[in-house]
Amino acid sequence: MAQLRQDYPQFVARDIEIVVVGPEDARAFAAHWQKESLPFIGLPDPTHSVLKLYGQEVNLFKLGRMRAQVLIDKAGVARFVHYGHSMSDIPKNAEILALGDEINARTDAGA
Amino acid sequence: MSRVSLNQAAPDFSLPDFSGNMVSLSDFLGRKNVLLVFNRGFA
Repeated sequence: MAQLRQDYPQFVARDIEIVVVGPEDARAFAAHWQKESLPFIGLPDPTHSVLKLYGQEVNLFKLGRMRAQVLIDKAGVARFVHYGHSMSDIPKNAEILALGDEINARTDAGA
Repeated sequence: MSRVSLNQAAPDFSLPDFSGNMVSLSDFLGRKNVLLVFNRGFA
Protein backbone atom coordinates (compact mmCIF):
# COMPACT_ATOMS: atom_id res chain seq x y z
CA MET A 1 0.00 0.00 0.00
CA ALA A 2 3.06 2.26 0.15
CA GLN A 3 2.77 2.81 -3.59
CA LEU A 4 -0.89 3.80 -3.27
CA ARG A 5 0.03 6.22 -0.50
CA GLN A 6 2.80 7.73 -2.59
CA ASP A 7 0.52 8.28 -5.58
CA TYR A 8 -2.54 9.26 -3.52
CA PRO A 9 -2.48 12.94 -4.64
CA GLN A 10 -2.68 11.75 -8.24
CA PHE A 11 -5.75 9.65 -7.42
CA VAL A 12 -7.36 12.60 -5.63
CA ALA A 13 -6.65 14.81 -8.65
CA ARG A 14 -8.71 12.37 -10.72
CA ASP A 15 -11.63 12.30 -8.29
CA ILE A 16 -10.72 8.76 -7.22
CA GLU A 17 -11.25 7.79 -3.58
CA ILE A 18 -9.23 4.79 -2.44
CA VAL A 19 -11.11 2.37 -0.19
CA VAL A 20 -9.15 -0.56 1.26
CA VAL A 21 -11.05 -3.61 2.52
CA GLY A 22 -9.29 -6.33 4.49
CA PRO A 23 -10.04 -9.26 6.80
CA GLU A 24 -8.33 -7.72 9.85
CA ASP A 25 -10.34 -6.20 12.70
CA ALA A 26 -10.76 -2.49 13.44
CA ARG A 27 -7.93 -2.44 15.98
CA ALA A 28 -5.44 -3.90 13.49
CA PHE A 29 -6.60 -1.46 10.82
CA ALA A 30 -6.26 1.53 13.14
CA ALA A 31 -2.77 0.48 14.19
CA HIS A 32 -1.63 -0.06 10.61
CA TRP A 33 -3.13 3.21 9.37
CA GLN A 34 -1.42 5.12 12.14
CA LYS A 35 1.92 3.37 11.65
CA GLU A 36 1.94 3.92 7.89
CA SER A 37 0.17 7.32 7.89
CA LEU A 38 -2.27 6.11 5.25
CA PRO A 39 -4.55 8.84 3.89
CA PHE A 40 -7.31 6.69 2.44
CA ILE A 41 -10.38 4.90 3.83
CA GLY A 42 -9.84 1.58 5.61
CA LEU A 43 -12.70 -0.86 6.07
CA PRO A 44 -12.20 -3.84 8.36
CA ASP A 45 -14.17 -6.84 7.15
CA PRO A 46 -13.51 -9.55 9.75
CA THR A 47 -16.64 -11.49 8.71
CA HIS A 48 -15.44 -11.40 5.07
CA SER A 49 -18.87 -10.20 3.90
CA VAL A 50 -17.57 -7.76 1.28
CA LEU A 51 -14.51 -9.85 0.49
CA LYS A 52 -16.86 -12.69 -0.47
CA LEU A 53 -19.30 -10.37 -2.26
CA TYR A 54 -16.46 -9.27 -4.52
CA GLY A 55 -14.90 -12.72 -4.79
CA GLN A 56 -11.44 -12.09 -3.43
CA GLU A 57 -9.48 -15.30 -3.86
CA VAL A 58 -7.69 -17.13 -1.11
CA ASN A 59 -4.76 -19.22 -2.27
CA LEU A 60 -4.07 -21.81 0.38
CA PHE A 61 -0.87 -22.99 -1.28
CA LYS A 62 0.54 -19.50 -1.54
CA LEU A 63 -0.52 -18.75 2.02
CA GLY A 64 -2.80 -15.84 1.66
CA ARG A 65 -5.33 -13.71 -0.06
CA MET A 66 -4.70 -12.52 -3.56
CA ARG A 67 -4.99 -8.78 -3.94
CA ALA A 68 -7.91 -7.58 -6.02
CA GLN A 69 -8.68 -4.08 -7.28
CA VAL A 70 -11.84 -2.67 -8.80
CA LEU A 71 -12.17 0.86 -10.20
CA ILE A 72 -15.79 2.03 -10.03
CA ASP A 73 -16.94 5.14 -11.81
CA LYS A 74 -19.33 7.78 -10.48
CA ALA A 75 -22.29 5.88 -11.94
CA GLY A 76 -21.38 2.81 -9.86
CA VAL A 77 -20.09 0.77 -12.81
CA ALA A 78 -16.91 -1.32 -12.58
CA ARG A 79 -14.49 0.04 -15.20
CA PHE A 80 -11.42 -1.93 -14.18
CA VAL A 81 -11.38 -5.31 -12.51
CA HIS A 82 -8.19 -7.11 -11.53
CA TYR A 83 -7.98 -10.30 -9.52
CA GLY A 84 -4.39 -11.10 -8.70
CA HIS A 85 -3.12 -14.60 -9.43
CA SER A 86 -0.06 -14.35 -7.21
CA MET A 87 1.17 -12.26 -4.30
CA SER A 88 3.09 -10.00 -6.67
CA ASP A 89 0.32 -9.68 -9.27
CA ILE A 90 -0.66 -6.09 -8.56
CA PRO A 91 -1.63 -3.64 -11.32
CA LYS A 92 0.50 -0.53 -11.77
CA ASN A 93 -0.96 2.70 -10.44
CA ALA A 94 -0.14 4.35 -13.77
CA GLU A 95 -2.58 2.00 -15.51
CA ILE A 96 -5.39 2.89 -13.10
CA LEU A 97 -4.62 6.61 -13.22
CA ALA A 98 -4.73 6.57 -17.02
CA LEU A 99 -8.10 4.84 -16.86
CA GLY A 100 -9.25 7.48 -14.38
CA ASP A 101 -8.40 10.13 -16.97
CA GLU A 102 -10.43 8.24 -19.58
CA ILE A 103 -13.42 7.85 -17.29
CA ASN A 104 -13.39 11.51 -16.34
CA ALA A 105 -13.06 12.61 -19.97
CA ARG A 106 -16.07 10.46 -20.85
CA THR A 107 -18.05 11.85 -17.91
CA ASP A 108 -17.14 15.42 -18.83
CA ALA A 109 -18.28 14.75 -22.38
CA GLY A 110 -21.64 13.60 -21.02
CA ALA A 111 -21.27 9.97 -22.10
CA MET B 1 -17.54 -17.25 -5.01
CA SER B 2 -18.96 -14.28 -6.92
CA ARG B 3 -16.81 -11.91 -8.88
CA VAL B 4 -17.40 -8.48 -10.26
CA SER B 5 -17.65 -8.16 -14.02
CA LEU B 6 -16.24 -5.37 -16.11
CA ASN B 7 -18.76 -2.72 -17.21
CA GLN B 8 -21.39 -4.06 -14.82
CA ALA B 9 -22.79 -2.34 -11.74
CA ALA B 10 -20.57 -2.94 -8.72
CA PRO B 11 -22.51 -4.46 -5.81
CA ASP B 12 -23.26 -1.98 -3.06
CA PHE B 13 -22.13 -2.64 0.50
CA SER B 14 -21.88 -0.90 3.85
CA LEU B 15 -19.18 -1.40 6.46
CA PRO B 16 -17.99 0.70 9.40
CA ASP B 17 -14.49 2.09 8.96
CA PHE B 18 -11.96 1.48 11.72
CA SER B 19 -13.23 4.58 13.54
CA GLY B 20 -16.81 3.31 13.48
CA ASN B 21 -18.15 5.60 10.72
CA MET B 22 -20.43 3.75 8.32
CA VAL B 23 -19.21 3.80 4.72
CA SER B 24 -21.32 2.64 1.78
CA LEU B 25 -20.21 2.32 -1.80
CA SER B 26 -23.36 4.21 -2.78
CA ASP B 27 -22.12 7.21 -0.75
CA PHE B 28 -19.81 7.96 -3.66
CA LEU B 29 -22.41 7.70 -6.45
CA GLY B 30 -22.36 10.82 -8.61
CA ARG B 31 -19.55 12.29 -6.50
CA LYS B 32 -16.37 10.26 -6.85
CA ASN B 33 -14.80 7.36 -8.62
CA VAL B 34 -13.75 4.64 -6.19
CA LEU B 35 -10.70 2.39 -6.29
CA LEU B 36 -11.69 -0.59 -4.18
CA VAL B 37 -8.61 -2.47 -2.97
CA PHE B 38 -8.95 -5.91 -1.43
CA ASN B 39 -5.82 -6.19 0.57
CA ARG B 40 -3.83 -9.34 1.15
CA GLY B 41 -2.94 -8.47 4.74
CA PHE B 42 -0.72 -6.10 6.65
CA ALA B 43 2.07 -8.53 7.49
